[in-house]
Formats: sequence, C-alpha cells, structure tokens
Amino acid sequence: MRDRRLAGCVLAFAATLLVPAVVHDTFLLRVFTEAVMWIGLAVTFDVLAGYAGYLNFGHSAFFGIGAYTTAILMVRAGWHFAPAAAAGGAAAGLGALVAGFPTLRLKGAYFAIATWALARAIQQIVLMMDITGGPDGMRLPALLSPRFFYYVMLGVASVTFFAYWFLLERAPFGLKLKAVREDEQGAKALGLNPTKLKIQAFILSAVPTGIIGGVFAYWVTFIDPASTLGDLVSDQALVMVVFGGMGTLIGPVIGAVLIFAFKTLFWAYLSDYEVLYLIILGAVIAGSVVFLPDGVLGMLPRRKEAGNRA
Amino acid sequence: MELLPQALMDGIMLGAIYIIIAIGFSLVYGVMHVIDFAVGEWIMLGAFAGFYLTEWTHVEPMLLLPGVFVVFAAAGYLFQPLIHRVLSGHRGNPLLMGLVFTFGLGLMFRGLAQTFFGFYSHSIPSRFSNGSFFLQGGGFSTTVSSVRLAGLVYALAITGILHYLLKHTDFGLGVRALAQNRDAAGLMGVDNKRTSAFVYGIYVGISAMTGVLIGMILSLSAKMGPDFTIFAFFVVVLAGMGYLAGVPAAAFLLGIIQSFFLIYLDPGYTLLAVFAILYTILLVSPRGLFGKGV
Repeated sequence: MRDRRLAGCVLAFAATLLVPAVVHDTFLLRVFTEAVMWIGLAVTFDVLAGYAGYLNFGHSAFFGIGAYTTAILMVRAGWHFAPAAAAGGAAAGLGALVAGFPTLRLKGAYFAIATWALARAIQQIVLMMDITGGPDGMRLPALLSPRFFYYVMLGVASVTFFAYWFLLERAPFGLKLKAVREDEQGAKALGLNPTKLKIQAFILSAVPTGIIGGVFAYWVTFIDPASTLGDLVSDQALVMVVFGGMGTLIGPVIGAVLIFAFKTLFWAYLSDYEVLYLIILGAVIAGSVVFLPDGVLGMLPRRKEAGNRA
Repeated sequence: MELLPQALMDGIMLGAIYIIIAIGFSLVYGVMHVIDFAVGEWIMLGAFAGFYLTEWTHVEPMLLLPGVFVVFAAAGYLFQPLIHRVLSGHRGNPLLMGLVFTFGLGLMFRGLAQTFFGFYSHSIPSRFSNGSFFLQGGGFSTTVSSVRLAGLVYALAITGILHYLLKHTDFGLGVRALAQNRDAAGLMGVDNKRTSAFVYGIYVGISAMTGVLIGMILSLSAKMGPDFTIFAFFVVVLAGMGYLAGVPAAAFLLGIIQSFFLIYLDPGYTLLAVFAILYTILLVSPRGLFGKGV
C-alpha cells in the first residue's frame, strides 16, 4: 500500500522533471516553479502540524529568515548562491531551535500564537534594521534562467519530500512523533522525550523552509518584509495542508497544487478583488474543518488502511 | 522624567483593556478548551458596530455599549454550536481543528471587514473625549482624559461583574466545574452545551464592547484584530494559563511596558520587547509569572 503510494510519488516526480522540456513559455514555467515552492512549504508545514500536532503560524518567519540570510550573504558578503542558501536553511534551523525550546512546552494552541507573535516580531526587526534594507527590501543579483530555478526548487522540494517520507513513514521517528501527538503523557511513560522530539520536528520543518526561502529570494531577485515575512505565507501553507489532508505527506502536495492553481487563476482574473482572496482563504479553512476533516485526501477511497485507523 | 506619570497612567489604561480581553479569552479556553483566534476580530467588529451606530444615531457611544453587548452576545451564543461541532466531531485532533477553525473564521472576518469597511483608520467620537482631568501631587503632574478614565472604570466594572458571576452564582459554579472537569460536571447536571454557548456569548459581547471602547480611546481599523489577539494571549500566558487571578497583574505589566516603549523608546520594538519578556518568562517559569498556571 505504502509502497504503491511511494511508487506513485516517484512517478509524479519523474513527470515533473520533464516539465521544462514541454513548457517553453517562461511565464508558465514561473508558475510551475512557484507551485513546486508551495508544495515544499505545505509539506514542511505539515511535519509540525500533522505529525507533531503543533500549528506553526510562524512558518513565514523561517521562510523569511532563509530569504534574508541568503540575500544578506549574497549581496553584502558576496557569497555564492548555494552556500548562502544552505546558510539560510541553517539560520532557520537555529531559529527553530531557539524559538522552539521554550514555546514547544506550551500546549498546542499557545504554541500557535507564540509562533505567530514571533513571526511578527521578526518582521519588525527586519523593518528596523539597516542591513536588511528596512521597508525598502533587498535587491539580489539577477540570474535569468527560469530552468535553473525550476530545477533548484524541484530539487529542494523533492529531497525534502522523500527525506520526510523516509523519516516519518519508514523510520521510527514518525511513530514516536505521532505517539507524542496522540498522548504526550503516555509517550513519556514509554520513555520518549516529547520536548526533544518536538524540537527535532520543528527544526526538521524549519531547515527546508529556510532553504526554500533562500531559493525564492534569488529567484525573484527582490524581497521585502511583506512578501517573505507576511502572514500570507503561513496562511496559505495552512490552507493547503488543511484542505489537502493534515497528517499525511501526500495531502499537502494535493492541497498545494489545488490551492495554488486556484490562486493563480484568481490573481489572473480577479486581481482587483484582492481582499476577496483573504475571505476565500478563511472560508476554505473553516469549511474544510467542518466538512472535510481529513481533507481532499480523505475523500479518496482508501483500501485496507481504513480498517485500522483509530 | 516629567513624562513618567503619564506613561504609567497610559499603561494602566491599556492594562485595564487587556484585562477584559484576557479574562474572556481564558474563560472560553477554560470551558471550551479552544483558543479563540478570532478574539481580535470580534473586538474589531464590535468597534465598527460602535463606529457606525454613533455615526447614524449621534448617540454618545458610552450609552451604546449595552446594546452592542446584547447584539454580539446573541451572535456569539448562536455561533458557538458550530465551534462545538468542530470540537466534538470525530476528528483526529479536535483541539487542533478548533484552532484551525477559529483561525479561518478570523481570516474571513478580517477580509470581510476590509471589503466593507475599507482600509482607513477611524475613531469613535465621544463627548468624553473633550474633557480631561489634571492630576498633581508630589512634584508630578499628569493629565487624564475623561474618556480614558471612563474606560478604566468600565474595565474595573466588567471585571467585578464577571468576578461576581463566577464566584457567587450557580451559573458561575457550573462554569468553574466545567473548566475543572467536563465529564464530572456533566454528571453533576451541568449542561455543557448550554453553558459553553452562554460563556461564548458573554465573551463575544464583552470583546465587542471593549472594541467600542478601544475605538473611542485609541482608533479602529479593519486590520486591528491580530494585535489584540496576540496581546490577549501574552497576558494569559504571563498570568499562567487558567490562573485568572494572575490576569490583572500581567495585564498591567504589559500595558505599562507598552506605554513606556511608546513614550521613551521606539514603538516599533514593542512587540519584540514583549516577545522577549514572554520568552524569558517561559524559560524561567513555564507556568506563568506566579507559577500557578497549568
């Protein structure tokens, strides 16, 4: 069952490799690149939300930390892109470690608001600092190669996805994390260290997010606090995960593709009604919770597994 | 130094507002075990209700408060079953789902408010806004506008009423029982659904009234919600989760910190400073300032 799904994923991945060969339109390739980016962001969001049971409304903070670290290292220190993006990931991971240590002791709901506040606080710092360009944002050296960015984004997203697959669906780590999610006291009684596991999950979620942020910064060549640290990044990741199916790896991918397709069409035809997008996002979140508790993935027929799901 | 008494007064004012918001917030958490992410949006909607009512009727907004309370309390009462349904359904992680649900609602409210009310900041005109008191003593002097004083009185009154409701009525006993143990309270004859709906209604009503007050004292805009959600949460965590008696101290502390930042330092760093304090408190004493939280 699982293997068949994994095979499906590998097949889908192989298909995405061929996209640049088929799509020659630069704009369309950009759309595909961004879709891949959102898949990455949704999957990383779900590690903490679905597997650990902690909503991270500060997802944008790690995306922004990655983007700004990469930008600062490339522009101000003259680093190359690859080490700069890697440093972005490391910075995001470090941020998760520092932020997660006290906040992950909180109950789920409080963690959610604490991370939200963290994201806003970081946004404020970035707005005040000189090195980040404040509200003016930062300009990066342009590299005009849509294919390059498509493959880099795809590389980061797919390495993340398959690493998660191994860690969360194959290795004991995923089971441990689920145990903590279901019953923290019980997990403790079994000799697990919930705080440590949650921090590990947090870092596991933050590092790829930071790298994706770094790739994003180099790709769009201009970042400012609103585009990288704004609430919309976290909100959209949440919508994709909830709509697609929380607590799975495939759900967020489906959610990301569907929501992103909708978003693209929306902005193409209805961009005058910017605020409407916020309303729709909210409605999709609330509606999914009420009507699709397992997301779109939950509507697909399940074999075998349905029986032993608690 | 001549600004010190002013900063303190402003801080106490803000603190009083945070008290009312945080009490409702933690009541709902105690009874329904859901953190209402939409708390700031209820405040915002209340503020706009007050704004438009004052504009249409030209009635002193202070007098509109009871009306706003009744309307919003009814809305909250009718709304609660939906949240209850989310929380009690057969979902994998009901608490998380409740959180996601209220977050979605909050987003929707904010979007709707921006659509219908626009992006501008307003303030609610009140007859109290003009008057002010001049306090002097011990070499210090400060002016307190009467609208702020009225706000303080209002906050203390609401706190007092809630205290009475919780400690001296059967309804309050039921609420406290529910907060302690839902199942046992149910066995003792406390109607979980009804009590929760009432508590949610009261909380929404109070939040909306506070919104009107904030609109009179500070300002209102469609984007004001998240800040108040975050501050309500800060107060609750500082006080210690579920420890209502700690709320006033935590709220005044945060209010004073915020007003000091506004007056002496850069207001842009307020949230950062507050977050730093929260972070330190959580590191040193995860159960709040008084170590009595859950």
